[in-house]
Amino acid sequence: MTELTHSELSGFIADRVEIGVFALDADFKLTLWNRFMATHSRRSAADVLGRNLFEVFPELPRSWLERKVRHVQALRNYAFTSWTQRPYLFRFDHNRPITGGVDAMRQNCTFLPVKNEAGEVVQVCVTVQDVTDNAIAHEELAASMAEIEREKAEQRKLIGELAQAQNQLLQSEKLASIGQLAAGVAHEINNPIGFVNSNLGTLASYVDELMVVLDAYTGAHEQMPEGLRSAIDAQIKGVDLDYLREDLVNLVTESRDGLDRVKKIVQDLKDFSRMGESEAAWADLHHCLDTTLNVVANEIKYKAEVVKQYGELPEIECVASQLNQVFMNLVVNAAQAIAEQGTITVSTGTEGEQVFVAVRDTGAGIPPEVLKRIFDPFYTTKPVGTGTGLGLSVSYSIIERHGGRIVVDSKVGEGTEFKIWLPLRYPAAKAVAS
Amino acid sequence: MSTALFSEDQRDALQELTNIGMGQAGASVAAVLGEFVMLSVPRILVLKPNLIPPALARIVGSEKVTAVRQGFHGDLRGEAVVVYGVSHCRELADLMGYDDVIDEATEQELLLDVSNVLVGACLGGLAEQLNAEMGFSAPSLMATEAEVSSLLDVERMDSPCALFVEVNFSLEKRSFSCHLVMLLPEDQILVLRDAIDRFLASL
Repeated sequence: MTELTHSELSGFIADRVEIGVFALDADFKLTLWNRFMATHSRRSAADVLGRNLFEVFPELPRSWLERKVRHVQALRNYAFTSWTQRPYLFRFDHNRPITGGVDAMRQNCTFLPVKNEAGEVVQVCVTVQDVTDNAIAHEELAASMAEIEREKAEQRKLIGELAQAQNQLLQSEKLASIGQLAAGVAHEINNPIGFVNSNLGTLASYVDELMVVLDAYTGAHEQMPEGLRSAIDAQIKGVDLDYLREDLVNLVTESRDGLDRVKKIVQDLKDFSRMGESEAAWADLHHCLDTTLNVVANEIKYKAEVVKQYGELPEIECVASQLNQVFMNLVVNAAQAIAEQGTITVSTGTEGEQVFVAVRDTGAGIPPEVLKRIFDPFYTTKPVGTGTGLGLSVSYSIIERHGGRIVVDSKVGEGTEFKIWLPLRYPAAKAVAS
Repeated sequence: MSTALFSEDQRDALQELTNIGMGQAGASVAAVLGEFVMLSVPRILVLKPNLIPPALARIVGSEKVTAVRQGFHGDLRGEAVVVYGVSHCRELADLMGYDDVIDEATEQELLLDVSNVLVGACLGGLAEQLNAEMGFSAPSLMATEAEVSSLLDVERMDSPCALFVEVNFSLEKRSFSCHLVMLLPEDQILVLRDAIDRFLASL
């Protein structure tokens, strides 16, 4: 058994090492081509040695590679490539024909200057290291990190939405109980109103009768004895009988007016809160609008003047209580859009086979980026706790159920108009279903 | 800031050697880039780790930077950092003769290439002056479009102090410039000092 010389050992290792090793002379002719390169390129050393690199491998990025090698020659220094920027130099099959994951072997390359005794670079040696496994692990890790980041962002968003939804649930719960309370109060008020009303009616006729009797007495006391007459005159003067007679009638009339108004409010509240009702019926939209405007009058009277521009409207088949809810929503929103003092114009009319109701305000207007989302459930620009973010989305679905559509037109600084189109008939299938 | 590890003579010699090394480097880089390269006189400091980030910030200013690091080993062991102002990175493609708009990977590869050229030339030049053998590991991206202060994590630095050699590159005909900082740990400073002594003795 003979010992290997140092040079033989070096040669053996360079040839058999599991790293690609090749060398180029100044004319890019191959001077070394180790086993790794031969195996993976399927070009034997005998086939390629002495030939120009680019002639054997025309697919190589020639100008880039030439420049790289020239730099090594000129600077007499190393150069490198990394798979992260340049996945491979030679397109070799990777070592994962079964498990896969990449299209080709990932490579890190080192270009080293081969110097002669005088220190001149006579050749450039290139090593090609297979880093496919590292690259795949790296990429999987990066993908996992990205996934985790994405999930974290998702979770943050969900937590935010959850907090908002909870807020809104509380708010709608509150609104629902206020509605129930109002309906209950309205019902309770109806009974005393009933008998006060009927008593007031009787009272009015009694007053009339009393007046007749009083008229008959008027002046009659002039014939009475002096003592009695002056006593009665003093009484008449004391109470200012003429004014009292006049005012008594007025008081009764005003009270009956007041009572009528209370009755109207109670009726509106009852009409309005018939939420359970889902049966479509023929209804006068103007009546619906008036009812709604009465209910919300208090809320908007300091902010806006309401101008009604009602056109001719036929009765339409609809669920009035639901439309009331939509109208209220639009009117309250309109009032809220107005900062100081403005006008809310409610107009109606027909267009072709459809009727329309438009609510226009002279408020702040809605910026385009908000406008895109206003019908989204839970989207609100109002401070937490004041808006449910449900108003417009519920309105939208109510109008949709009616086979109509709702559109919004807004200019920032000028105001907003919501316009609702409704067909005359409630959609048949839905009408049957309900 | 203390340079007490060096005597006056040693420091002057190091300054001179670096200067000569860099001059040769400038010539070869100019040959590669086809442009006349201007180099600043190297600045040599011995710094405690926590003073390195402020020293970098002073060189680069407040602009965001992209930086490449490259290790060197052999008779001298340390790391070189090449810092580019973000606005200069985009000039590289043009500088290196790419006509088209290049993608991110190509841009990064260019950065690594140019850094490798600069580091190899400068440190190679110095090594040659000192008659030292030096090898280089592959360069890698340290940070892209980052704050200068975030480049180095001084907590992770073991060495109590480091030699900080700074050279600024600029091109005569272009606004391109970058900064090369060579960092040597404390034990290597001693090695360098011995090498300088040998050099002085050979004069």
